[in-house]
Amino acid sequence: MATQLPKTDVVIVGAGWTGLAAAKELADAGQRCVVIERGDWRHDASNFGAPEEHDELKYARRKEHMIDTPTKTLSFRNNADQTALPMRRLGSFLPGKGLGGAGIHWNGQLWRPLPSDLEMRSHYADRYGEDILKGMNVQDWGMTYDELEPHFDFFDRVCGTSGVAGNLNGETQDGGNPFEGPRSSDYPNPPMKASPPLQMFRDTAEQMGYNPFHMPSANVTRAYENAYGAQLHPCTYCGFCERFGCGYFAKADPIVCIYDVVKDHENFELRMNSQVLRVEKSEDGKTATGVTYVDENGREVFQPADTVCLNAYALWNVHLMLVSGLGTPYDPETGEGTVGRNYAYQTIAAASVFFDENVWSNPFMGAGALGMTIDDFNGDNFDHSDLGFVGGGYISANQTNGRPINYHPTPPDTPKWGAEWKQAVRENYLHHVGIVCHGSSVAVPQNYLDLDPTYKDAYGQPLLRMTFDFPENDRKMSAYVLSKAEEIARNMDNVRAVSTVNRAAEGEKYSIVPYQTTHNTGGAVIGSDPKTSVVNRYGQMWDHHNVFVFGACLFPQNLGYNPTGPLMGLAYWTLDHMKNDYLQNPRPLMDA
Amino acid sequence: MPQFSRRAVLMQLGASGLAALTPGAALAQNRYAELDTQPWSYLDGNEARFLASMADVLIPEDDFPSASQAGVVDFIDLQLAGPYGQGAGLYLEGPFGDGTPEQGWQADHTPASLIRTGIARLERDDTRLVDLDADEREEFVTRLSEGKDFDLGDVPAKTLFDEIWALVKEGYFADPIYGGNKGYAGWEMVGFPGAHAYYPDHVDKNAPFPAPPRGIAHVPGTRHSADTASALRGADTPKEEG
Amino acid sequence: MKLARTAILAVASVSFGSAVVLHAQDNSGEPEMSELERRLDVDSVLFNATINEEPDDDLLEQGRLVAMGSSENGGSGMACITCHGVDGQGDGSAAFPRLDGQAGWYLYKQLEDYASGARPNRVMSGIAERLTEGEREAVAAYYAAMPTGDLDNAHGSIDGNQLQWGGQLASVGSAEKGIPACVNCHGAQGTGLPPSVPYLAGQYAGYMELQLELWSEGTRDNDAMDVMSTIAEKMSEEDMRAVAEYYARVTNPETGGEQSDTDYDMPAAE
Repeated sequence: MATQLPKTDVVIVGAGWTGLAAAKELADAGQRCVVIERGDWRHDASNFGAPEEHDELKYARRKEHMIDTPTKTLSFRNNADQTALPMRRLGSFLPGKGLGGAGIHWNGQLWRPLPSDLEMRSHYADRYGEDILKGMNVQDWGMTYDELEPHFDFFDRVCGTSGVAGNLNGETQDGGNPFEGPRSSDYPNPPMKASPPLQMFRDTAEQMGYNPFHMPSANVTRAYENAYGAQLHPCTYCGFCERFGCGYFAKADPIVCIYDVVKDHENFELRMNSQVLRVEKSEDGKTATGVTYVDENGREVFQPADTVCLNAYALWNVHLMLVSGLGTPYDPETGEGTVGRNYAYQTIAAASVFFDENVWSNPFMGAGALGMTIDDFNGDNFDHSDLGFVGGGYISANQTNGRPINYHPTPPDTPKWGAEWKQAVRENYLHHVGIVCHGSSVAVPQNYLDLDPTYKDAYGQPLLRMTFDFPENDRKMSAYVLSKAEEIARNMDNVRAVSTVNRAAEGEKYSIVPYQTTHNTGGAVIGSDPKTSVVNRYGQMWDHHNVFVFGACLFPQNLGYNPTGPLMGLAYWTLDHMKNDYLQNPRPLMDA
Repeated sequence: MPQFSRRAVLMQLGASGLAALTPGAALAQNRYAELDTQPWSYLDGNEARFLASMADVLIPEDDFPSASQAGVVDFIDLQLAGPYGQGAGLYLEGPFGDGTPEQGWQADHTPASLIRTGIARLERDDTRLVDLDADEREEFVTRLSEGKDFDLGDVPAKTLFDEIWALVKEGYFADPIYGGNKGYAGWEMVGFPGAHAYYPDHVDKNAPFPAPPRGIAHVPGTRHSADTASALRGADTPKEEG
Repeated sequence: MKLARTAILAVASVSFGSAVVLHAQDNSGEPEMSELERRLDVDSVLFNATINEEPDDDLLEQGRLVAMGSSENGGSGMACITCHGVDGQGDGSAAFPRLDGQAGWYLYKQLEDYASGARPNRVMSGIAERLTEGEREAVAAYYAAMPTGDLDNAHGSIDGNQLQWGGQLASVGSAEKGIPACVNCHGAQGTGLPPSVPYLAGQYAGYMELQLELWSEGTRDNDAMDVMSTIAEKMSEEDMRAVAEYYARVTNPETGGEQSDTDYDMPAAE
């Protein structure tokens, strides 16, 4: 029998970006918040300092900041005809654990969706006719860019985002992304410096008639006091962002940006090393009563609450709903049910550029969001009439790191090991840049999440089961965007060779082994129709009005952008409606 | 002294490399016999010689050291004896199925037992990799990398190759605190300046940056890291039966 | 406030001037040029002393002459050695840091910044302005190539608990105050991270404490993107003193890199 604790106003599952933002906003609104986090306490100053943090083996290879598969993993198959087997080791994506969640080891590439992205079905149907979306579960998000803009803007000021605005209140600005939605205010900080390969990418893209701009970056470029009064420091371009915490206070993360300003709040309580097992429901099933978790001493504890916020990683939010019986599980046979429906990923391809000895990329000088980007082939920024696919991706020359265990650029036709390989690594390491195609991912009926019938986690709960392969649409999209990236690469000066890799190439199945991105989306999507969404447009569950859901699990399909910016815009949108409407009068905010 | 003994194994490997150029390589094998009881943390002498000879096919000596010269076998030994080798970060609940390549590691083995079992089965007919000549070694490693023609029971040949190759690269390029990358060999080779990193004044310059590497435990005033790895080597690490 | 502090520095340098000149008559501490040239064979020294061009004996000799007070434009007005010593070891007045073995590019950039006013200092600005760019490079390389000697007068007295706090700030920073650790950027044991980041180990406590105050009040803001001001602003006077006294007590073992016959430990070759 679980120990029952005194009731709190709000219980928050997970202390990452969305969980801590929820705690801060709701605590300030007078709600007593209990945040439950499975991992350890940690802090940028005491836990992420150089040089110890700059340990590629420990953090990038052994993945010390990430979820531990023996405790928590999922099973995976490409299609429903296969038997799903456990993801025994981390690979394709890296969910976090511990205070700050995956927001600690992110790169800081901080984007907003395009206005048309948020109305994807309506937009494509209007412009090209419904048929272009045949066979896909593409749908609208249920709110517009203009509704989310104040929240994107606020999060930019939480992170001290750096960049060059391309659209300020409707006016196109030189040097920015001309395709972006209107910004109500400029980036809080100037853009990052550009390394030599990025300068070359910019010049070449410009000559080709494209519109290059500095990737929006949460690697802060000057001393900055954020919207909550927290102090961020300028980035040192140390080259240890992704998979590492930042000891310089230079990569915006949930600890420095939010935790530090809420930790002493009288309405804030954080419980570490506590694994939430399930959300408990009232007898009539219409509301949640709180959560049951295993605390740091291994005791099962019930924490009653008036409101439950699900702020775990996208995949684990869906898992929690499935094991708790929240909402209706998706049935791929009938297409009915919504929990687990519209799981999507990110479609990654890249061109590798090998320079001659006159170009020094020095790849170890880098930052997670050090990139020069074009958005000309993202979303519906280009005419899809005769292309046979929807969506797109940004193309970006990125210089994120030169970590030597992993960074072994070798030109095409180099052997995979041996003397020639060794020579090629040595010759190319300092003269190479990667151009990534960061492609969107549409939702299709055959890609989904449910519970595995066989395998269990360390708490005896069934594993989440992922059934996923790249949809045909995305294979075409990826080949197209990659061809554009390759053209730019070949047009750059001082290039000796170009090679490409396309994870979604025709004939290649999605593999859970090589790292691609930690951008798992969907499974508990947001929308305005209870038949096709788990939560209403405010992030509130249709079936249980006191459960609010956060994170990338809300995305109806995945964008051609990194998810942190969009999902934080949604988080602040939801919190706004909680603070200013729901909490005064708890009820369903939309009629089902 | 354990460290001296481990080095002795590798010295013999170097000798065998020469011996392998001439007929009568079996001579070398006899000379290894006395080294089978050396106090590695996890490996035995046979396994160490197998890994050293395979590692040196993967990263051979040129202007820069070979894998074994850079301490890769020492690194692998410590890794296999430690949490990683013993299955940390690896979900090992059954049932075990073959799976597809896209489903990743499905072997019912920790990395340590995979490598021990794999080597034992590869060499079960007493043909030792170290006794082959250079061309034969290369041919063997090529076949293993393709996973062809090997029946290693529940050890998938491709998984075994991938695991060893991953460990070899880690041993060559990881911070020297883990026992490999001796004298910053791997970092010197590519031009990586190490764990101490501060580049705001240089990131936008098209110029070489030939900073001598410094690891996490760099000893200031020298060109090497503190020897933190030997401290990890417990006196009596239990050996796992393969 | 800013003006007042600069004025104090100017007065200090003048009043110390005559005393140190006497000391400078004794050239016994001056490093042998042949020794400096030999040290350029060591990777780390060469990297430390390289600013724009790889240093050679001509550059070091030019650097030595500048240090002694000669320059194309009729002398800098004051020889470096007058205040910083022939051995580059400065003195404990808080105004004259040691320069021996300091990161060369960092020294060069300080001279550029003194000359342009980016680092305000009445005395150093006047000196740096009169040096050509080549002379700034030469004298920076000269000091960067010097071995760091031991000092026993770099530190003052401080309470043991305070000193321990300084060590903690240096190595792990403070989560409570949002202060990142000094070692993040200043290298193993504060021995610096050439070319941009100066060493702290063995530097004069008074000098480091004064610099932290200058960063904190914004008088000094000439590092890349002014990160030091952001850090110093979060430090109390006690924090500054603690960390300065801590680093003054750390021996700087960057004597310039040991010579090594073989590049690698190659067991097979032994």
